[in-house]
Parts: sequence; structure tokens; C-alpha cells
Amino acid sequence: MTVSSHPASPQPHPHAGPGPTSDTDSDKEPDTDIEEGALPSPPQMGRGKIAQRLLAGGSEPDPRFTLANERTFLAWIRTSLALLAGGIAVEAFTADLFLEPVRKSIAILLLLMGMLLSGNSALRWLQVERSMRQNRPLPLPLMVPLLAIAGALAAVGIVLSILLG
Amino acid sequence: MPQHHGVTRAHQDPGLQPERTSLAWGRTLLALVTVSSLFLRWVPLHGWLVLGPLAMSITAAASIYATQRRRYQSNARGISAGQLTSDGVAVLWTAVAAAALGAMGVTVVLLDW
Repeated sequence: MTVSSHPASPQPHPHAGPGPTSDTDSDKEPDTDIEEGALPSPPQMGRGKIAQRLLAGGSEPDPRFTLANERTFLAWIRTSLALLAGGIAVEAFTADLFLEPVRKSIAILLLLMGMLLSGNSALRWLQVERSMRQNRPLPLPLMVPLLAIAGALAAVGIVLSILLG
Repeated sequence: MPQHHGVTRAHQDPGLQPERTSLAWGRTLLALVTVSSLFLRWVPLHGWLVLGPLAMSITAAASIYATQRRRYQSNARGISAGQLTSDGVAVLWTAVAAAALGAMGVTVVLLDW
């Protein structure tokens, strides 16, 4: 994403922790309690109850990062919608191509992958949001290799079933 | 950066974050509309069971459309103020809608096996 040094752009929040102890935050401690050590955040504008419960503790990240995380979530959700669309299309258009059980299995597989991806994209949005609030490193997207492998396997399977059938 | 007098700007972000975010929501809206129109192709196969996922995807798309203006404004305000609350409700609702679409699709396919 674009991070400009424009003077009018908002600066990232200074680390909330007072005193020299804030340097030790980078130590990898396994899941310390989120509330612990977090200063009471500044008054939030229009923050609903659900958001308060989901994103407790830490400090509000740079707004640009918040929006970038939102866009990344949306890109994942569109990927999930593309998988759903693929499943719907296989079921709708391939009656001449595949036997019924093959067609329905491929469609259901694609729909299930789309569901998995949509759940995972929301989870990942939440993890990234929490990491940014706590100044922790961002989690790795485990869905990327999974999606690549599943896509490759699906393509091989479809080619095989066309050649053999 | 040159000052443009007499022009009201919602924000000063040269990275155009509010625009890009609104456009990303708009693309998601279009993807939902695409999915809902693909569901129409199921009507000859599965009859009016398809109305469920169709209504779901149109509702999700309409709720994005209805909130676009407000979303742009509050994002632009947040960028100017340097503080922005993330829109967790919209994110979760969109993910739930996509998952529900998939679940409804699987149900329809299985019901008519």
C-alpha cells in the first residue's frame, strides 16, 4: 500500500506504553491477555458494542492501515464469491459435459471452498486488526498455499474427467 | 502540494484511501450481483428453491449500495482526523452473507440430487 510522507497525512499512533518497558513488547509471548497492560484507549468515535468487544485493548492503528485491512478483506471475499460463482456455473452449465454425480460433486466442492474462504477472510481481518492494535507482526495468510493447491488439483481433476469421460 | 482555493476537499490524503476503499466495496457489490444473476440459471434445474440464495445475495448487495455514501464520508473524516474506527460490522456481515450463500447453494444441490 501507499504510505506517503505528506505532512498533512496522519501519523501512526505513538506506542501507547509509557516508559522504557515498551521495548520488550516485541518478545514473542504466547498470547498474553489482550486487556493486560493496555491503556484505556482514547474515546472512540461511533464505535459500536460489537466492535468494542471484538477489538478490545491496544491503540487505534493508522487509519490508512485500517482501510488497507478492510480492502484486503474485500479482495478475499471477492475471491470467495468467485469460487461460489464457479460452483453455481458448474451446476448450471455442465449438464452435457459431466455425469450428474461428477457435476454435483464439483459444484459442492467449489461452494464449500468458497464458504471456507469467506469464513477465513473474516477471521484474518480480525487477526490483522488485532495485531495492528497491539503492534505485533501480522499473521501469515495460510489460505494462500491451500487455495493454490486446491485450484491446481481441481484443474487436474476436471481435465482428467473430460479426457476419461 | 498546491493549494486549491475555493475547493472543498473531504480529506488531504494523496493515497486516496477513502476512494479506493469505496471502490473495493463497489467491486464486491458487483460480484454479489454477478453471483445472484448466476443463481437465476438454477431456476430451470431447481425451481423456486433458488429464491433463497437470490434474495440473500441481492440483500447483501443492496446493503452495500445503501451505505456507500456514508462509508466514504466517515472514512474521509477518519483520514482527516487521524483516527478511524474499523467497520467490523460491515466486514462480518459481508462474510456471513457470502458463507450463507454457499450454504444455501450446497443445500439446494443436495436437496435435488
